[in-house]
Amino acid sequence: MKKIANDRKTRAAPKRPGKRAGNKERTRRNILRAALELFSRKGFFKTTTRQISVKAKIAEGTLFNYFKTKDDLALYFSEQELAGLIEWYHDQKKLQKASLPEKLFAIIHRHLERISPYEEFIGAVYLRALQPVSKLSPLSLDSQELNLRYLRFIQQILREAEEKGQIPKLGDFGAYAFGVFHIAMISYWLQDGSPGKENTLALLDRSLKLTSALKKGAWQW
Amino acid sequence: MAVVKGEASEPRFLRGFRIGKLGVGLTGSYIGYQLQNLFLDGGRREERRKLFQNKAARKVREELQSLKGPVMKLGQALSMQSHLLPEEVLTELANLQMRAPAMHPSLARAQFKASFGAFPEDVFREFTAEPFAAASLGQVHRAVTKAGEQVAVKIQYPAIRSAIENDFKLLRSATFLGRLTGHSPEAVISEIEKGILQETDYLEEAKNIEFFRERLKPLPYVRVPAVFRQFTTDRVLTMSHLDGEPLMEFLAGKPSQELRNQVGARLMGLFTYQKFTLYTLHADPHPGNYLIDAGGTIGLVDFGCVKKFSPGFIQLCQSFSEQLWSCGEDQSRLLEQLMWGPEFVRKPRLTHKLLKDTIDLYQTIHPAPASNHTVVDFGDGKVLEKLTRLSHDVMRNKLVNPDWIFSSRAEIGLYNVLHLLRAKINTTAVWLDLKSALPTAGRE
Repeated sequence: MKKIANDRKTRAAPKRPGKRAGNKERTRRNILRAALELFSRKGFFKTTTRQISVKAKIAEGTLFNYFKTKDDLALYFSEQELAGLIEWYHDQKKLQKASLPEKLFAIIHRHLERISPYEEFIGAVYLRALQPVSKLSPLSLDSQELNLRYLRFIQQILREAEEKGQIPKLGDFGAYAFGVFHIAMISYWLQDGSPGKENTLALLDRSLKLTSALKKGAWQW
Repeated sequence: MAVVKGEASEPRFLRGFRIGKLGVGLTGSYIGYQLQNLFLDGGRREERRKLFQNKAARKVREELQSLKGPVMKLGQALSMQSHLLPEEVLTELANLQMRAPAMHPSLARAQFKASFGAFPEDVFREFTAEPFAAASLGQVHRAVTKAGEQVAVKIQYPAIRSAIENDFKLLRSATFLGRLTGHSPEAVISEIEKGILQETDYLEEAKNIEFFRERLKPLPYVRVPAVFRQFTTDRVLTMSHLDGEPLMEFLAGKPSQELRNQVGARLMGLFTYQKFTLYTLHADPHPGNYLIDAGGTIGLVDFGCVKKFSPGFIQLCQSFSEQLWSCGEDQSRLLEQLMWGPEFVRKPRLTHKLLKDTIDLYQTIHPAPASNHTVVDFGDGKVLEKLTRLSHDVMRNKLVNPDWIFSSRAEIGLYNVLHLLRAKINTTAVWLDLKSALPTAGRE
């Protein structure tokens, strides 16, 4: 298993982008905004790149300069969401003092809150991600950087809990396992028809409470 | 190595796994929640683990594994069917009953949003993330509305309703034989299910609060909160804040005997008024549901479990009470109907002693006016003990009247509270005062 590098580098202040890079980033976001609006209205699979370029008020050729496929757009969306999630987490002062189950709960819940306006799009992304040839697949090289960034983020939280003696040393396994759990929770959330999707909250809470059982000896009852 | 089910050689984690399997469906089982708490609750885990290791507690596990367990767990009404389990385990189960797992601030906030559509900090001027009280099926947080009113916000644990429904599915399959032979009557199970599920709908509870707030106005010593409908949903209930200390804290302040007697008499008056005038009972007389202030007035909280009785049942109760002091056949006949309903199949050998003991007990609680000793000392635990035992005996019989179950449950709760208060009450005077002074117009 590849060792996950420390997250300190990723948390270092980002380089200030130049004017040109700034413009490019603005265009990327503009395209994403237009695409998300169309995905929610027409669905991911029915939306064409032409419709996206019209909506974003750019030439279709320009769109391809930024995103070669809709998978690239979805990958960019996921990167933006992860960046937003990490930034949000580090801003939550009270949460830093919370128990590990609460921290992990808050991370997944915040993620679900962020993606809830794009439920259909997320469902489609999940379907695409199941195909090994898709760039969205967890096995694809294109999604490696995204996955590593996520794993470093989670590993840092788990390491803090390890240092406080809240859980035994899990090594890289903990972050990988939580990553799989996170994906499973999003799949459940997508299918959850309960009012306010409260079944997801219950399942999330009950599952994460079991992390307390990781504490040394607790599973020997 | 072959693992023998239920044997000591079975690895401990496997035993735990089988208990865990009781949780059915993805939202799980209410019993499952309780078991999770039983093992994972921080400081008390060790203590409870020890309990689970003793012989009595092992019996709980066996009961749960053979799926008789749910019978023991669902609400106080079910705990009356306690003859299957040892007393110390029942005490533990009673502690677990109707207590939802605690929610951390992030979950409470998420559940508020799931039900209300907005986060509490966007709805209220102030919202305290940590709860100040546990409630049946949820927890209560302090908040201040944007208009500056102090409120209590009760938030329900997510998906508790489907968890309880899962438990009843288990209960029904587990008690199939019992239902066939009539030992676990379907009517009783349905009544209990209805009662417990009713508690999960906070809009129903809001209606109950408004009903009691209006109808208890004739009792100046009772305070009922106001509902803030604009901040209430089926899983979030916002009420005005009530002053006073929960009964146990009130008692910790060592109130005088006089004050305890006064509060006790008022609680008894409140119970009698609700039953005979409103035909409706606040049926969860948990000590934490009474907030007592320095003047001895009673703040009522938690209206989840409210029982409306049929007029026929209350009229029978009334006739029974009126004839309590005249000994005769009529008393036994009335009591038979109260306990088992009109479909009762007479079994004299089984019931004669039970009826006699019950009448004796009620005569102890409500001594005849002509008697020299009309003050009942509830500090003496015999009354409570005898009533609890009699209720258990009644429940062992078939065709128990569901109205009687709820009435007994509430009555045991009341006497338990009076016992905690160590109140000395002239119960006969309380009864006669209410009977003569109160109108019966409040009936619905």
